[in-house]
Amino acid sequence: MAKSIFLQSDNRKMHAGWLLLLLLCFIVQPFDSFANTSESRGIPSAAVLNPAAELWRDVRQREQLTNGTSQVKGVDSGVLINAYGDQWRKFRMQQLIPVGGYLLLGIVIGLALFYLIRGKVAIEGGESDKKLLRYTSYEQLIHWFIASIFLFLAISGLIILFGRPVLIPIMGKEAFSVIASACKEGHNLMGPLFLVALILIFIKFVRRNIYQKGDLSWLLRGGGIIGKKHVPSNFFNMGEKTMFWMLVLVGSVIIASGFVLIFPVFGLGREWMELAHVGHAIGAILVIGVIIGHIYIGTIGMEGAIEGMKTGYCDLNWAKEHHDLWATKAEQQGEVISNDKVSRLRDVSSAQSLGGHVQEE
Amino acid sequence: MGQFIDGPLWTFSLSVFVLGVIWRVVTILIAGNRSDLATAKGSAGKGAIRTVFSRFVPERTVATRGRIQLIAGYLFHLGLLALLFFAKPHVDFIAERITGLSWSAMPHWAFIVSAEAAFIGLILLWLHRVLNPVTRLLSDLDDHVGSILVFLVMLTGCLALAQAFEPLRLIHLLLAELLLIYFPFSKLMHAFTFVMSRGYTGATMGRKGINA
Repeated sequence: MAKSIFLQSDNRKMHAGWLLLLLLCFIVQPFDSFANTSESRGIPSAAVLNPAAELWRDVRQREQLTNGTSQVKGVDSGVLINAYGDQWRKFRMQQLIPVGGYLLLGIVIGLALFYLIRGKVAIEGGESDKKLLRYTSYEQLIHWFIASIFLFLAISGLIILFGRPVLIPIMGKEAFSVIASACKEGHNLMGPLFLVALILIFIKFVRRNIYQKGDLSWLLRGGGIIGKKHVPSNFFNMGEKTMFWMLVLVGSVIIASGFVLIFPVFGLGREWMELAHVGHAIGAILVIGVIIGHIYIGTIGMEGAIEGMKTGYCDLNWAKEHHDLWATKAEQQGEVISNDKVSRLRDVSSAQSLGGHVQEE
Repeated sequence: MGQFIDGPLWTFSLSVFVLGVIWRVVTILIAGNRSDLATAKGSAGKGAIRTVFSRFVPERTVATRGRIQLIAGYLFHLGLLALLFFAKPHVDFIAERITGLSWSAMPHWAFIVSAEAAFIGLILLWLHRVLNPVTRLLSDLDDHVGSILVFLVMLTGCLALAQAFEPLRLIHLLLAELLLIYFPFSKLMHAFTFVMSRGYTGATMGRKGINA
């Protein structure tokens, strides 16, 4: 009994083996054409039509962009793999990040060296006891508004762009992922505020930033920063005006590209997004570089430069040395006021105008 | 740490906020006011109600000279109010942790607009406070702490918008809890007391027959 069972079992195994062999023949048969390759027959390989290769060529779109059909309705939904994405990725990783990083680092090192050589540009005649009103409260307000927004966007943007090569080795991937997510959300949310700030700045300062006579000579003489001789200048010098227009024009590119990146709902495809990203990053690196110079002059680079934006008033000697065309005109119009009066205007009269509330407190 | 922020500290901060606000409001209410022996020339109640609402529209001179504060003030307060009560994560949080009741949250685009408005308003208001000689002299530490704390709560909330990382949510919650604890003892109480303040002025003037 047991033997017959074993025999039946052997027969079944044999049948199963034959069936398996037959099945393999059917499966392998279609590959016969591939196995019968050009090399085995001595024919040049280019003549072989490889359906798989053709399929992947279409998918990768190496020769031309192909839009397939898909049940999914949306931008680029018919494109399986966008070949330009790889070019963009390589540009970002191999050119944009290293070149941009070294450029910004170079600017910082250059300014540090310049400071070591040139030192702080002092007011030659020393601080006077007279001042000129340089910026109104509103002008200071919108300046610091755009400055605070810009600083936040610059820091968060730099973390997003350079975080992978710079921060991951320091803090690790997990901590960086948290910071990167926070920066991305914050950057996206604060971005539109830069548009508001730039519009306010443009409206208020555009008239004083139109190029005029004397600006070119300021440029030709290096703005007086090289050497000891000061160059005549208007309310804003050529450098400040150029920075203004750069901020407006390049800033507009940054804003427009930023909106494309935040709101893909505009119906723009991947290529536009890649282009927007490149434009956004290059523009931002340029503006950040210029603003680093602006901050340098305002803080450690030049004595008295930031006073106007801090208090609204600037020293008369500083104004004469750096913006003498404007200072002379203001002096002739009797706009010069004493330090004492400025103190009263900024403190005492404010308290008096409040009916003594401050004194009581 | 996360469990502490999410559990005991949340309960403690909410309790301090609720009890503190009740204590401050009750203290003001029981302080009473001087009895006016003069014959009433108008309705105190009507005057109070009128003033509570009429103060939302500033006088022409105030609107002109304090245009920035007016615009920035409305942007900030309306934006913050919308964010606080109608942002989806807040609606879910309040329903789950406080009221048990839920209501419709605003769409994502409205959330973004509200956040932008609130940030523009708050930054401009604080810069105005620091730069303007008058407001700078009027401001004390409480004003700056309140402004900065509210700004940090808003900022960390926006940084945690992706809702993908627990540490970001906990930082936001921790700062919100600190704000709740600080709130009753600060000028932030104006969120509740402005009604009483306006009402008192309106009632006093209304009784005298003055349209204040």
